[in-house]
Amino acid sequence: MTLDVVVEKIRAGQRLEADDAVVLFRHPDVVAIGQLANDACERRHGDRVYFNRNMRIEVTNVCVASCLFCSFAKLEEGAPGAHTMSLRQAWAELESRIHDPPSEIHIVNGLHPGLPFSYYEELLSGFKRIKPDVHMKCFTAVEIHFFATHYGMTYREVLQRLQRAGLDSLPGGGAEIFHPEVRARIAHDKATADEWLEVHRVAHSLGMRTNATILYGHIETFEHRVDHLLRLRALQDETGGLQAFIPLAFHPDGNGMRNLPAPTAIDGLRTIAVARLVLDNVPHIKAYWVSMTPEVAQIALRFGANDLDGTIVHETIYRAAGSRSPGALTTAELVRLIQEAGRIPVERDTLYGVVREYPRAILPEAALKVRDRKATKHLEVVS
Amino acid sequence: MSRLVDRAIDAAGLSGVAAARRAGTITAADMARLRDADLLALGALADRVRRDEVGEEVRIYPSFQDDSQSSGQAHSATIVLPSADHELTGLELLREVAIARVTGPYAAAVRVDWTSCGLELAQVSLGFGANELAGQITSKRGLPLADGELIGVGKRSRWELAQTQKKRELAALVRRAGREPVFAERNEFAVTTNESTPRQEAEVG
Repeated sequence: MTLDVVVEKIRAGQRLEADDAVVLFRHPDVVAIGQLANDACERRHGDRVYFNRNMRIEVTNVCVASCLFCSFAKLEEGAPGAHTMSLRQAWAELESRIHDPPSEIHIVNGLHPGLPFSYYEELLSGFKRIKPDVHMKCFTAVEIHFFATHYGMTYREVLQRLQRAGLDSLPGGGAEIFHPEVRARIAHDKATADEWLEVHRVAHSLGMRTNATILYGHIETFEHRVDHLLRLRALQDETGGLQAFIPLAFHPDGNGMRNLPAPTAIDGLRTIAVARLVLDNVPHIKAYWVSMTPEVAQIALRFGANDLDGTIVHETIYRAAGSRSPGALTTAELVRLIQEAGRIPVERDTLYGVVREYPRAILPEAALKVRDRKATKHLEVVS
Repeated sequence: MSRLVDRAIDAAGLSGVAAARRAGTITAADMARLRDADLLALGALADRVRRDEVGEEVRIYPSFQDDSQSSGQAHSATIVLPSADHELTGLELLREVAIARVTGPYAAAVRVDWTSCGLELAQVSLGFGANELAGQITSKRGLPLADGELIGVGKRSRWELAQTQKKRELAALVRRAGREPVFAERNEFAVTTNESTPRQEAEVG
């Protein structure tokens, strides 16, 4: 199988199969792969690139799972670095930003064995009391599976109770690598691939939209990545409920795989590009700047990505694993990153409704200059 | 791949520039066209020029923060980016690298300084016409790769081990871009590595 064969399939609008995707991953010319993905992205989205104003909260890092890649979790309450927010502390995070509130709150936690289920219900309802229109994108499928087993409910019962409390959608975390050869080694004691997919299937049946991720760049092979993409594509064929796919780069600091090197920028760009080409039924491919760095995420906007995630504000999971990205980006910074990539910034809500469309920068990115880039957070693009 | 690149270059209106490069007749109008050209098509053109003129080797000039070692002096046919007086975004840097490759002297060395732009962007620049990397390695954070092998190593031998480890990681970075690393120190091409990558060697800890 050569790249030319794969290119002809893409041009003919044929769906890519596993062998095709492996060719794309293995081919040395990442710019050529990027070109194919960029074409596919532009056919679907034109020059529009999305971002949102979101806020990330991790209410507890106490976790019974022992994932090798995780630098965030602490095994028990009281261990050094362990934290669990009180409900009031969690709500205060939103109250402190109520003058400029996010449109979305994104909550991901450890699997805490000691909290009652009502904690999570009250957590959601409390945020909705403070800001009724805020979108609550909370709890990975791994957490939902944990709730179901720990509190003795079905996935449907868990999701329905959380929906009644204010849950609007599910984030895409916890997918890691689906293939059992890898999953058994890096994440043996949490939801399996089938369980992860089933949680999303049930969420979609309840009318919720969800995202999906992959954790790439550790011990997995390209074949494992392709298997992962194809399982997601099959779910999407069945339910149509996935909104966005988000590749997450493995970071090695402070975890059980610290002897492995982190994946490089080219690997990240290639993964974005192949995802765009293989996941022909998932509308949005996200360049998660926390994982990739803002600089590389900006380049990914020419390799098939059409979303930069959001302002984030307070992310701790990647920072614990050694991410050198800033903790937050302002709206102005996100707009500049997108404009300088020659794209049109579109602020969205969680479900990709348009909040505001910004103008396209008139000049190509090479001619844009940013005044006093280091001195101010409010960056101004000048010609 | 060749047909794909040809089509991309053609679709971006760069076929004429490619021909001019081969003939050695690049004009100011060609250079202006590159400023506005689709970035990936420009990158594809620059990568082809790089392959034709200087091959697959990437010369690496690593320097630990030690004044006795320079990061490699540039000879006359070396273009170093990013230049000290301009701060560039990632996309700007890639365009500048590609333009330098397409419009610079035949078989010029196009060198990217990772101290200024970071190793992530430096690695990506290898796909846009660069064939040399230079910079300082100052700390663990100087490379995006783990240095778990330094744990438990005595202070005296730590520095030498760190150099070896970081050089190996740099070589792996280049190989993962599909290229062949060649180390140069004190402007001499003294060390050629043929080691396996850390990823191949590393085991789950």
